[in-house]
Amino acid sequence: MAKLNCNGQTIREINSSIRKCISVGESVAVESPGARHNLGVALLGSGEVTFQGSVGYYCGGLMDGATIRIRGNAGWGLAESMLDGQVIVEGNAGNSAGAAIRGGTLVVQGDSGARTGVSMKNGLIIVTGSCGYMSGFMGQGGKMIICGDAAEALGDSMYETVCFVGGKIADLGNDAIVVDITNEDRAFLDASLRKHLPNTMLKNLPNGDNFKKVVSGKKLWNFDKSDWKTWEQAL
Amino acid sequence: MCGIAGYFTKSTDVAAPVGEVMMEMLTALECRGPDSAGVALYNTSSTNDSILQIKLSDDKPTRAVLDGVIANISQLSKPTAITTTGVYLRLAIDGSLDPATVISVIESVDSRVEVVSMGKRLEIIKQTGSPKRIDVDFHVSDFQGSHAIGHTRMSTESQVDLSHSQPFWAHSLDEIAIVHNGHITNYHKLRRQYEQQNIHFYTENDSEIIAVYVARGMSNGLSLEEVLEAALVDLDGSFSCLVSTASAMGFVKDPFAHKPLLFSETDEFVAVATEEIAFRPLIENDLNIREAGAREIRVWQN
Repeated sequence: MAKLNCNGQTIREINSSIRKCISVGESVAVESPGARHNLGVALLGSGEVTFQGSVGYYCGGLMDGATIRIRGNAGWGLAESMLDGQVIVEGNAGNSAGAAIRGGTLVVQGDSGARTGVSMKNGLIIVTGSCGYMSGFMGQGGKMIICGDAAEALGDSMYETVCFVGGKIADLGNDAIVVDITNEDRAFLDASLRKHLPNTMLKNLPNGDNFKKVVSGKKLWNFDKSDWKTWEQAL
Repeated sequence: MCGIAGYFTKSTDVAAPVGEVMMEMLTALECRGPDSAGVALYNTSSTNDSILQIKLSDDKPTRAVLDGVIANISQLSKPTAITTTGVYLRLAIDGSLDPATVISVIESVDSRVEVVSMGKRLEIIKQTGSPKRIDVDFHVSDFQGSHAIGHTRMSTESQVDLSHSQPFWAHSLDEIAIVHNGHITNYHKLRRQYEQQNIHFYTENDSEIIAVYVARGMSNGLSLEEVLEAALVDLDGSFSCLVSTASAMGFVKDPFAHKPLLFSETDEFVAVATEEIAFRPLIENDLNIREAGAREIRVWQN
């Protein structure tokens, strides 16, 4: 495994070195990331990058295929617009984690901030802790599994994203509804958690039976003059 | 985009190197606000004197203004520990004097004279330029005390000068100071209401209204926590705001969580900052750092 120390290097230099490794499928351990922004963006390739500490904003943004492990926290916009690959944060994530992702898997092994998974199009987001205000806002597809609690306005104005919440939901966003969980959902939840989380973590998490499923009520999908009250509130 | 930071030690028995920690935190946040930098520092002394930080001018202060301020303040109390640094005059006066009286006597000397802070524990130092410069000019790193808040400013709406820089002192007895990242969108409406109550505004900076708001609330008997709760209703816009008093520090984040604010608490101290990069000087403590949620309010009191 290649080693890279960020001290004294510009973000451009660090990212060039990471890209060189990833493009030939080599794994790289990045030391002293120092919570700096834009680390590991636009990585094309299948190698694994391990950040030995916290990263700043937009880490893993626009990536396609790589695996990023963060041994610390992540700032805003983690894995934004990821096409494919895996991002695992061992600590907490800031606002807009997994914003607009088109694929891949984001795993937050702590809490995530406001607007987690905003406008996500596909892919999977797992948060073992709690997620912040208005998570899942305008989600167009993909799935979000929140093992802990969800803050206010969960799933506001969603299209086809499906949110599963293991803890309490503070309140649902506009046009978000709780529906019955199916056997297929239970199997998906158990399989996803087993696949993406270490065994030591699983025993403290709810199993497939204990999740609530939140989807769009589809009332805001098409404008209906006779249902003006719903629109007035949503806007 | 601005950077804010706070550092609060949970013991007032021993003065901690809060100046040094604050300088390191602000230096890390300089990229978020290169226009100006400032700190509100709280010492642990129990003297009866109040420390005044007075801005004499916007550029080079004249001897006449300096002499005028000292002559005027001498009518109220004999000033001691008089020093000048740049445009600042720092001195100590009898701590039982009422801020409103002191302010009116000092600021009558010249329209550019402004009492930047007054308090037994509080001292505010702010100026345009980088955090490093306030350390070079005022030796902030040497300051020992109980807590501090700081700010790096990127101006978006109002001018860049010392008075428009943060922290803002609330011109009240409670030694309140605030730093703010965001925009208060009902600023003009609130300001009109306050001006009808004869409250003087020094700047066009929307953040100044938060200092006024907190001071009014607390002088009406609300606790710091209650003021911050009320701010969620009365202030519109985006705000991550840190407020400190002589014995407390707290924050409030707006209902939409528009602006970042991270915090971490240990048995010994609390650190709050806009970005995690600012926690680096404390990183040996293996902190659990978390983004504050929408509407989240925290207050720590000694």
